[in-house]
Amino acid sequence: MTHQVFFEDVHEGDEIPQLRKNCSTQQLVLWAAASGDFYQIHYDKDFAQATGLKGLIVHGALKNAFLAQLLHDWIGEGGQVRRFGCSYRGMDEPGQDILCRGVVTKTYTRDGKHYVDLDVWTERPDGKRTSPGTATVTLPGRG
Amino acid sequence: MPDTETAFQITDEMRAQIGIESEPWTYEVTTTSVRMYARGIGSEDPIHYDVDFAKQQGFRSIVAPLGYIGTPVYLPGSNDPTFGFPRRASGPHLNIPFKGLLDGGTETEYFDVICAGDVLEETSHLADLKLREGARPMLFITNESVYKDKATGKVVAKQRLTSIHM
Repeated sequence: MTHQVFFEDVHEGDEIPQLRKNCSTQQLVLWAAASGDFYQIHYDKDFAQATGLKGLIVHGALKNAFLAQLLHDWIGEGGQVRRFGCSYRGMDEPGQDILCRGVVTKTYTRDGKHYVDLDVWTERPDGKRTSPGTATVTLPGRG
Repeated sequence: MPDTETAFQITDEMRAQIGIESEPWTYEVTTTSVRMYARGIGSEDPIHYDVDFAKQQGFRSIVAPLGYIGTPVYLPGSNDPTFGFPRRASGPHLNIPFKGLLDGGTETEYFDVICAGDVLEETSHLADLKLREGARPMLFITNESVYKDKATGKVVAKQRLTSIHM
């Protein structure tokens, strides 16, 4: 059971708990089957290299889904993700750590709902942000 | 690189296709597809696997992980065999010379929770075209899809996907 975070406990500049991923090629195949994206650059090394890539790469949309999981895990049962997205600015390889991170950029209340805006991103071990994005969630209040 | 790629320009005919709505396509959300997607992202949250648990939490069934908005119904000859998306007669048809393809980005907006058992109707349109010129030109194509619950007609999600062609 996830610990519930409340709106009053969240402040601009807060970093939310990180989520660490490391994709095996098996996970990339699982994801391909689940998402319906069977582009060969994610599981056929020869095909990937023939397109000019160094080797297999992690699906961009899988990294997007990792960021969604980061938010899902943080907001708990009382929260809701309203919007999230990222762009794919760098490639990640299977067997390499992908650190999913998020920082609160704004908190506000509108129409009785408590909103939190965040910057979110995936990060390679060398510190490069490969999937920078933003998100908006709502959290329950203590009142 | 073929001259057709280096000389590529976005034409008025291409821009005229922005906003043209496609015919609808059915997307299904099943208990099996939700569990498969959850496995794909490596989640172990029972809300995505255990129907009884999800119902105890007040949901109709297991909850689709964020980012999963169903699987398009696959009809041989009507869907792309590599990506699964429907090839519809209506909607934009761009004749582009580029062979290389990469994901550019994904944005999703939610208006409701999506659960196993939901059947969605998706329509899409070309939302944006951008060309980054240079030694290796890159064409950014953004499509926006709107997903409605077939049972209620309510919009449950919108998603914008950007692909990079080069």
